[in-house]
Amino acid sequence: MPQAPVGDAAVATPRRSHPLLRYISIRFLISILLVWGVTVVTFVVTNLVPTDPVSAVLGEQAANNPEIVAALRAEMGLDQPLLTQYWLYLTRLVHFDLGMSAQTRGPVAADLARAFPATLELALFVLFFSVLLGVGLGMLAALRHQSWLDKTIRVLSLFGISMPVFWIAMLAYYVLFYQLHWLPGSGRLDSALIPPPTVTGMYTVDSLIAGRFDLFTNAVSHLILPALVLTLFTIGTLIRFSRSAILDVSQQDYVQAARAKGLPNRIINFRYILRGASLPILTMSGLTFGSLLSGAVLTESVFSWNGLGQYAYKAAISLDLQAIMGVGLLIGVVYIFTNFAVDLLCGLIDPRVRVQ
Amino acid sequence: MRVKMRATAAVSVFAGLSLVLGGCAAGGEPDAAAEKVLVVDSTFALSSIDPARSFEATGTMVNHNVYETALTFEGSDLSELVPEIATYTISDDNTVVTLTLDGEHSFSDGTAVTVDDIVFSYQRLQGILGNPSFLLDGVTVAKVDDSTVTLTSETSNPQLPFILPNPALSILQQSVVEENGGTLDESDDAETFLTSESAGSGPYMYGTVAVDSSITLVKNPSYAGDEPYYDRVVINNVGADTQRINVEGGQTGLAMNISSDEAEQVDDSKFTVTTGASAATYYLWLNTNDEFGGIASDVNFVKALRHSINYDDILDVVGLGSEQPGGVVPLQFAGSLESDENNTYDVDLAKELLADSGYAGETINVLYSSENAFSANVSQIVQASAAEIGVNITLNPQTAANTLDVFRSGEYQAGLANWGADYPDAANYLVFAPGENIGARVAWQYGDGGTADQIAPLVEAAAAASGDDERSAAYIAFQEALNDYGPYIPLFQPASILVSGEGISGVESNALWDVDFSTITGG
Repeated sequence: MPQAPVGDAAVATPRRSHPLLRYISIRFLISILLVWGVTVVTFVVTNLVPTDPVSAVLGEQAANNPEIVAALRAEMGLDQPLLTQYWLYLTRLVHFDLGMSAQTRGPVAADLARAFPATLELALFVLFFSVLLGVGLGMLAALRHQSWLDKTIRVLSLFGISMPVFWIAMLAYYVLFYQLHWLPGSGRLDSALIPPPTVTGMYTVDSLIAGRFDLFTNAVSHLILPALVLTLFTIGTLIRFSRSAILDVSQQDYVQAARAKGLPNRIINFRYILRGASLPILTMSGLTFGSLLSGAVLTESVFSWNGLGQYAYKAAISLDLQAIMGVGLLIGVVYIFTNFAVDLLCGLIDPRVRVQ
Repeated sequence: MRVKMRATAAVSVFAGLSLVLGGCAAGGEPDAAAEKVLVVDSTFALSSIDPARSFEATGTMVNHNVYETALTFEGSDLSELVPEIATYTISDDNTVVTLTLDGEHSFSDGTAVTVDDIVFSYQRLQGILGNPSFLLDGVTVAKVDDSTVTLTSETSNPQLPFILPNPALSILQQSVVEENGGTLDESDDAETFLTSESAGSGPYMYGTVAVDSSITLVKNPSYAGDEPYYDRVVINNVGADTQRINVEGGQTGLAMNISSDEAEQVDDSKFTVTTGASAATYYLWLNTNDEFGGIASDVNFVKALRHSINYDDILDVVGLGSEQPGGVVPLQFAGSLESDENNTYDVDLAKELLADSGYAGETINVLYSSENAFSANVSQIVQASAAEIGVNITLNPQTAANTLDVFRSGEYQAGLANWGADYPDAANYLVFAPGENIGARVAWQYGDGGTADQIAPLVEAAAAASGDDERSAAYIAFQEALNDYGPYIPLFQPASILVSGEGISGVESNALWDVDFSTITGG
């Protein structure tokens, strides 16, 4: 029977945790700290705005009544010192209570639960096609470096980066819906249709769950125009980034060695080059996803998408402090945990990342 | 080569799939095949749809279609009251309004509307201290018997009958509201319930409500009036920029926020453009306090500005259906001033008055809301007009919230603002008097021996006047005085523009509640 190590041997070989688990734990704790930091920043910045949020809510006559003003300030918690307000905010946050929205008169959490899935649905759709097209075209351009194809793709990417998204959106809406009737108009679903019962809040998923393929196709058809606009806007950056990363990796010695060994191009391109370039591409895709989840205000406005972007915009212009903080917190959490997930994936793909 | 072919194939599949699915856009069977649905595009201005808290355009429109009031107006005519659930009389001294219930109306669950519901609704409006609570300030609501309610005002209140049609005074079902947290004071907690469920007797009731994106109304089976044509009305929150495309593209039946420029380009052989006078008066205000207003507090300077403004240019910019009111009271209300020589474009006279004011080239700061469709263009016209006579104006655009906050501080020099009528009566415009709501914003207070004290007798006479003719004359005199030495320059009254799709008829614009869906047919 093996003997347990004793004396110096016992000290020399301490029990070590799994490196991936340790990596995940550390990153998770950091993420929690970052979320707390986001609450502080959003609270401070929101309260630095000099305008009285009560003004945005009260009509002229009501604003002239000190009793009504005082009652509203008390309801909004504005009669408390700032530190007390922040403490109350934190204690409610622990119970997932983000306060009441002054513009919708309902819980901010409920508003976000309604708006966020709309943005998530659009973002997932856009991300899928952006990554497919962006990485694909970027790879194509890199592998056909300096050819007419490379130049064409680079011009296309420049177009996507340069054109104002609201202009692309209006043009797409005018041409593809109004003139050609190829695609439906604004909104997430035809107005005459009743949305499916809410499970995830994403109409495509919920309609499939409800067994309504007619609603599913209608929801997908409504997704296409805003997704097309946002895809055109995001693939520009992904194309250029992917092209650059792949060009860099394709010059590496191990790739040259693989070519010298006579491996098929398909294997070299995907197993050697693309895998080698995957970390920076993955990081960029994660940032893109985070940006999409923050809500594309202009695109959502043109297509009346009523997602997080529109909700955030309306909250900002109407000084709905609770909603602003809720949106800020949600976006912060989205970015933090998206990056966390990307870092995890990087750690899974490249063991060297975990060891570092 | 293979990579290129595969990529091309992938892109082609994506494009094809998109078009196929796009072609399926119309395929989604309506959930009730015979259902008539009206889709309405509206840029929401909405803070609450609890009638006792609602005070913005969209909430008012929705509440009018879901609830009934004691009295109402027909179509777009705001000069004549008609009974809705009650008839009324008013005492000779204008202090007691008596409502007699007709007993023919029921809430959506079939329960009859009673006097208790009226009393509860009005007292709740007063007690919860919401935005529209001021409408019944100084009024005591009392049940007399099972068919009679009295509203007793502390002072003469001839405008009270004209306040009753305001959707904020909607009649709610007392039992339902109380079950869901409704009270008669600030502890009222029924707003959340009333944001998702209606408790009214109007032609429609709520289907689904998302106050920031879409509100669906469905027919009220217990409605006492004529059954509406449309089974369902879907009101979508859509930006003004895309509403015309939506109507002309066939997606929308009624667009409510199309600009006058776009409305003039609509093909009127297929689509119908309906205009109506709005109840909003846009005006320039100038601070009367020397400390904050500077030269803008000088009467001659204000007069100079009045005559410097090219009002025709403003009407051109505001567009279809807009008018220049003579005073602050909208032209369609009794007691309005049709025109006034004080508000005419006369550059030479403006320069003379400017010289009398002692203006020495100071910059005048003019505040306006950048979110208002007209304010930017009109402010620029005012600026250009003033420059013609040698006055330097710096424009200060702010968000609506910031603009209100600064305006209400009473410490800004000048600005462009608008007043939308709370009710269709000239008495609402006493807010422009010294010390009152707007008067206070421009630091116009009694007791300084100046213009405020000068106008005081006219204000009292207007408030105390009785009878249509006497009231009309009193309010005209009040406005004439405002134009002579007051700190406001009325600029324009925009029109309300509604564009309806092919085959849709019966659309009528109402300055109080925009549109009544129960009168719309066709499509």
